[in-house]
Amino acid sequence: MAEKLDKYTLKNGMVLLGERMEGVESAAFGFMLPCGASLLSEGCCGAGSVISDWIFRGAGVRDSRQLSDALDGLGLHRAGSVSSSHLTIGAVLEASNLTQALDLYADIIIRASLKEDQFKLARQLAIDSVYALDDDPRQKVMLKLREQFYPPPLGRSALGEIAELEALTVEKTAQIIKDKFNLSQTIFTFAGKYDFELVCRQIESLFEHSEDSGGQVEISVGDRAGKYTHIENDGAQVHIGLMTGTVKPADEDYYNARVSVSVLSGGMSARLFTEVREKRGLCYAIGARYHGLKDMAGVMCYAGTTPEKAQETLDVIIAEFNRLAEGVSEEEIARAKVGLKSSLILQSESSGSRAGGLGSDYYILGRVRSLDEIKERIEATSVESVLGFLRNNRFKDFTIVTIGPKQVNVK
Amino acid sequence: MEFKHKQLSNGLVLVGEVNKSAKSAAVGFFVKTGSRDETEQINGVSHYLEHMLFKGTEKLSALEVNEAFDRTGAQFNAFTSEENTVFYAALLPEYLMEVTELWIELMRPALRDEDFNIEKDVIKEEIAMYKDLPSFDVMDRCRRLHFAGHPCGNSVLGTEESVGGLTAEQMREYFAGRYAPNNMALACTGNFDWEQLCSIVEESCGKWQQRPARRELEGCGGSKKKERIEKPNLAREHICLMSSGVSAQDPRRFAASILGMIIGDDVGSRFFWGLVDKALAEAASMQFAALDGTGIFCSYIRCSRERVSEVLDIVSGIFRGLAEKGITEDELRKAKNKILSALVIKNELPMGRLVDLGFNWIYNEEYRTIEEDVNAIKAVSVDDVHSLIEQFNPGEFTQFSIGPAQNSS
Repeated sequence: MAEKLDKYTLKNGMVLLGERMEGVESAAFGFMLPCGASLLSEGCCGAGSVISDWIFRGAGVRDSRQLSDALDGLGLHRAGSVSSSHLTIGAVLEASNLTQALDLYADIIIRASLKEDQFKLARQLAIDSVYALDDDPRQKVMLKLREQFYPPPLGRSALGEIAELEALTVEKTAQIIKDKFNLSQTIFTFAGKYDFELVCRQIESLFEHSEDSGGQVEISVGDRAGKYTHIENDGAQVHIGLMTGTVKPADEDYYNARVSVSVLSGGMSARLFTEVREKRGLCYAIGARYHGLKDMAGVMCYAGTTPEKAQETLDVIIAEFNRLAEGVSEEEIARAKVGLKSSLILQSESSGSRAGGLGSDYYILGRVRSLDEIKERIEATSVESVLGFLRNNRFKDFTIVTIGPKQVNVK
Repeated sequence: MEFKHKQLSNGLVLVGEVNKSAKSAAVGFFVKTGSRDETEQINGVSHYLEHMLFKGTEKLSALEVNEAFDRTGAQFNAFTSEENTVFYAALLPEYLMEVTELWIELMRPALRDEDFNIEKDVIKEEIAMYKDLPSFDVMDRCRRLHFAGHPCGNSVLGTEESVGGLTAEQMREYFAGRYAPNNMALACTGNFDWEQLCSIVEESCGKWQQRPARRELEGCGGSKKKERIEKPNLAREHICLMSSGVSAQDPRRFAASILGMIIGDDVGSRFFWGLVDKALAEAASMQFAALDGTGIFCSYIRCSRERVSEVLDIVSGIFRGLAEKGITEDELRKAKNKILSALVIKNELPMGRLVDLGFNWIYNEEYRTIEEDVNAIKAVSVDDVHSLIEQFNPGEFTQFSIGPAQNSS
């Protein structure tokens, strides 16, 4: 693989990670700010959603409109998200506009105007997006599932709760930005076409001198919530979310876990699709995937089905999780491995997904894995290693959330 | 990048764009058939048939098909629209020929009764799933209202009734008429060997029988009707606006895309500043969609029930402002920049390129380089956009809304 990893650390601790890609004209970048939902104080967990809008409403010498016009003028496609650990803002754009874009993002991060009238609008939009979630049960069930599966505050929904959002003030939110936009803990990632020296010098001059707002936050983790939660909704389907614990990304058995999940739900020949959809016609949408935070991880499964089939769907899914440890074939392992490797390579062609991958690797593992390393580790798994892992780490303690007109029985 | 083209004697077209420096390749069959080619009795058959192609052939069972794909690690799937059914795979170059052979085989499916029956349940689940997504449901209903009897208003999924009543025999008949080699194209992009691809296709597809496959292209001005339905379990009002636009064959489609972006891009558009920035609507966007012989501008707005009339007044004001004063040079410049960079980013992936290559062939029987598209966008002037606004006033729209009961919040 011809990728080239670049790394540089500023004196204030901010880490720069880059990956140069051949044959592309685009560049992607992201600032991972330690302002994720789990790091915010009780009662403020939707603040990230407000902040990621508010900081774009004017920064440096530009008002909201001028800033937006400047970003649009670069043809930049904004990307932003709030996870458990980070608030990330970034973009994908033509590489020739990268320098100008970074100047604007420095303004947004360090010199956002934070005007009161703009705060009210950003907060209203955040509140509205919580309401809108009620009309998207498929997304809502997965957010609720994470909330129930991870012990608080790890699984908090970054969208927050309406009452909490309503109670947020300008002062409180501005203080969160001051405290949490901590550059010593910030990871800046970029991928695609760039000049590494140039990017480093620019980031250095933009961020090196800004004030550091303090150390890392220690989170104290509470108890996991209930085993089964049902939310009544008079819709057409019962939306089922199910999650069970597995090894975290830094674990020795991580690749065995990933291959196991692929046997369960990697492709259309995987077990869940075959048993639930192909043989029984219970669902259209059915799938499971690995979901990892830094210190905790699980396998997350979604299925949507009409009320009369909900119980059977759940029972078949759980039976398939349990059946994995009874045996997997050579063929299944081979398909899982080639699927994981090929999706790795296909993703590596996109500057946006590479930039994202660098940051999550560095935060979770403290280093960036090369594509070759990942390929080798996937390659090293076998029927024996996967079965050994499954038998020592049986899937149990399922957390289940349903949204729909009918509850299911959870044993 | 090198363009390649070949047509077999039965009419099947192969188009390719070879990029030897790509790490991956993509391949797909583009079949010129969709819900607009259906009658009311068989509404939903194109999409149902798309599912059935994965159910195997005389030689392969459904599970064997899925296993064969998964052995290659390909990211494969299919989608059906009002006028096309596309089967595609993004993959590593070493598996391209194997996957192409598999797609070729699947294009002549067994359509067995027992598979048909079980898949009917899956389709009904898909219909139910989209009923729970009002943002999708409202578009589907608005399209039907806008096209008012024109076949482009047909639902892709069909209804529980139309799908429920469909027989395997009706599907076989539809298949025979629409999946003729002269009504489809095979496209391939990225790192692959053109000669090898041609020899596989010639050998396997050469015996497919040509059949007449027609599509009536009638224009449609749109009904401009307004309707609303209530669903008590909803929290927000979901509004879809639809008006007519130019077709996929019309050179003005580039100007139409720019107009759609100026009015309704997610950020920085007239909708954004008028509605989203002011927190009156949580979502407001417009897109231009070019169709065969016709086209639409389609907007989606989501807001609280109490804001609906204020939001719609602002929307009317935006359209009025466009009709009276037009757009500015600055708006045009920003919209072009956004479209151009999206084009560059998308085309860096063989899979992104495949879609453009296939559709350019299906609609216009032409190959367009990325540079040609870039130049066509750069060439659009303020006057071009103004004459579009004049001819297709987006302020005269069909409107469909789905929301909670009138007296609830």
